[in-house]
Amino acid sequence: MNGHFQKDQALLLAEKFKSGRINRRSFVQGLGMLAGASALGLNAATAKADTKEMIYVNWGGDAIDAMAEAFGDSFTEETGITILYDGSGPTEGAIKAQAEGGSPTWDLVDCDPFSGQALGRQGLMEPIDWSIVDEGKLREGFKWEYAASSYFYSYVIAYDKTVYDTPPTSMADFFDTEKFPGKRSMYKWGVGMWEAALLADGVAPEDLYPLDMERAHAKIAAFKDNVGAFWGGGAESQSLLLNGDVSMALIWSTRAMLLDKDTDGDIAMTWAEGIIAPGSNGVIKNNPGGAEAAMQYIASTQDPEKQVVLFEMLGNGPANPAADALIPDEEKFYNPVDPENYAQQIPLDMDWYEENYGAALDEYLGIISS
Amino acid sequence: MSRTLLIAPLLLFLGVTYLVPLAGVLLQSVTVPEPGLQNYQEVLGDPLVWSVIWRTLRICLFVTVLATVLAYPLTMLWVRGRRPVQIVVELCIMIPFWLSVLSRTFGWLSMLSNRGLLNTWLKDLGIIDMSLTMVRNDFGVIVGMVHFLIPFAVFPLASAMRNMDERVLMAARGIGASRFRVFWQIFVPMTWGGIMGAALLVFVFSIGFYVVPTLLGGGRSVMIAELIYLRIFQIPDWGIAAALSALIMVAVGGFLVTIIRRTGVGSQ
Repeated sequence: MNGHFQKDQALLLAEKFKSGRINRRSFVQGLGMLAGASALGLNAATAKADTKEMIYVNWGGDAIDAMAEAFGDSFTEETGITILYDGSGPTEGAIKAQAEGGSPTWDLVDCDPFSGQALGRQGLMEPIDWSIVDEGKLREGFKWEYAASSYFYSYVIAYDKTVYDTPPTSMADFFDTEKFPGKRSMYKWGVGMWEAALLADGVAPEDLYPLDMERAHAKIAAFKDNVGAFWGGGAESQSLLLNGDVSMALIWSTRAMLLDKDTDGDIAMTWAEGIIAPGSNGVIKNNPGGAEAAMQYIASTQDPEKQVVLFEMLGNGPANPAADALIPDEEKFYNPVDPENYAQQIPLDMDWYEENYGAALDEYLGIISS
Repeated sequence: MSRTLLIAPLLLFLGVTYLVPLAGVLLQSVTVPEPGLQNYQEVLGDPLVWSVIWRTLRICLFVTVLATVLAYPLTMLWVRGRRPVQIVVELCIMIPFWLSVLSRTFGWLSMLSNRGLLNTWLKDLGIIDMSLTMVRNDFGVIVGMVHFLIPFAVFPLASAMRNMDERVLMAARGIGASRFRVFWQIFVPMTWGGIMGAALLVFVFSIGFYVVPTLLGGGRSVMIAELIYLRIFQIPDWGIAAALSALIMVAVGGFLVTIIRRTGVGSQ
């Protein structure tokens, strides 16, 4: 979250290449695109009157390859506008640095909705133009003034099946080391962990927000000795489970899917009480390519078939509900927003995060690091 | 005059690439989001900041002492050992020095983790039953940092040992001092400047460590560099980030000046 999830895509590419899942050519292509996009990004400072290219900044690696294949190539064909994917990572601070000068070099960013909102309210993002972007192609409740949801992922329980005879079925099970002995791993940057702690403590999903931080932190403080490591990135979370350092972890669904596939189910996952969240597209204020062209790009990514390509390459759930049905049956289990999976999960409240994330994370870090 | 002229490009370069941005950071610390000292007030009143500073100092002091103490005999072997020993030691110092910090850190991770090499060996030898937790805690951070910083302690020590007047040692032996006494009363005091220089270099370096604590600390060992990163990129509050940086700079700078004045390092 706050960039960390998206940044994880950078590493997926290299790992897929290593594990032979993609061939050398597309690996080199991916790297080339990364290098090329960044180099061109440097030269794009002058605003163009008629848009020929736009820079979309995401978190690098596999996301560059995947987004270009899913969205970029066809957009260029339709409009003549080239989309350059720059993997340098649009953290909230980096977007702020771009936009504050008034003449950004970036056009679009792959950001957390609450970051987009926070920046938008500071006048640093263009409001989404809902006459171009179709809100009918978004899931209910996942649109914001400055951010349109673009894909979904979830914080889910992944566990070592060789250690547990019965699978965990709730956050209460995750926090119960008597019923499920063994070390745990949780997310270092807090997101989703407060929700998990409160659910385990008996708070009903519909009463989660506003989060009772005192109660959540008390639960986490009492539990933290069972945590073998707080992971900061997806690759780390994966290796903690693979190496047996921990036997249960709250990790991103994209990583849980890889673990499940790579270990033939020895490390399994459950959607039960997963904390689901979208990534989103945002447009930087005064973007060089113009707001209209940027909105058109966002609209073009709403095509369900294009979103299925992204799911197949990264495991990100499609933002357009019409895409769910297009996913092959054997892959449907891995789609975070598949109706059957979605019903078991709880959506993250972006408004709460926009308001409270900074203070909450400070307190959380204080607790886990003491 | 010509000396000043020759060094001028360097001064200019440092001025533009270092002093100007530094001035910018200092300025931001008292102007963002509005003029005043409220950023410093907030930083000093934040318990998280204090716990992070405290951990950073604790780990860095520990690392400094360990790295310097371990580097000392290593440097002696390197400077005063026989030729074959010298070569082996030199390789042991240089090769890790050339490797990237990332690969060294990952190396430690696979060495020390629960199913890592060390635990596997110890179990196979029957020395332990349960895996020892040697990484993803402060211990792992310290091991990784000490390993990285030992070469930085070796160089100042080596220069002190090389510049030593051998005749003093021989004279001491000649009038009957034991090897032990020569070492503690002659050799060590004569390298004191090198010891302090090594310790200072290691300490200053260690304060800014980011990768090693992040990877080997298991998410728990948040150090000051990571906290500053957090305030720049994750939860942007540049005024606070600038104030934090300025405070660390002043604290470390003040500490260094005091130590240098007290011990006279650099005057030799």
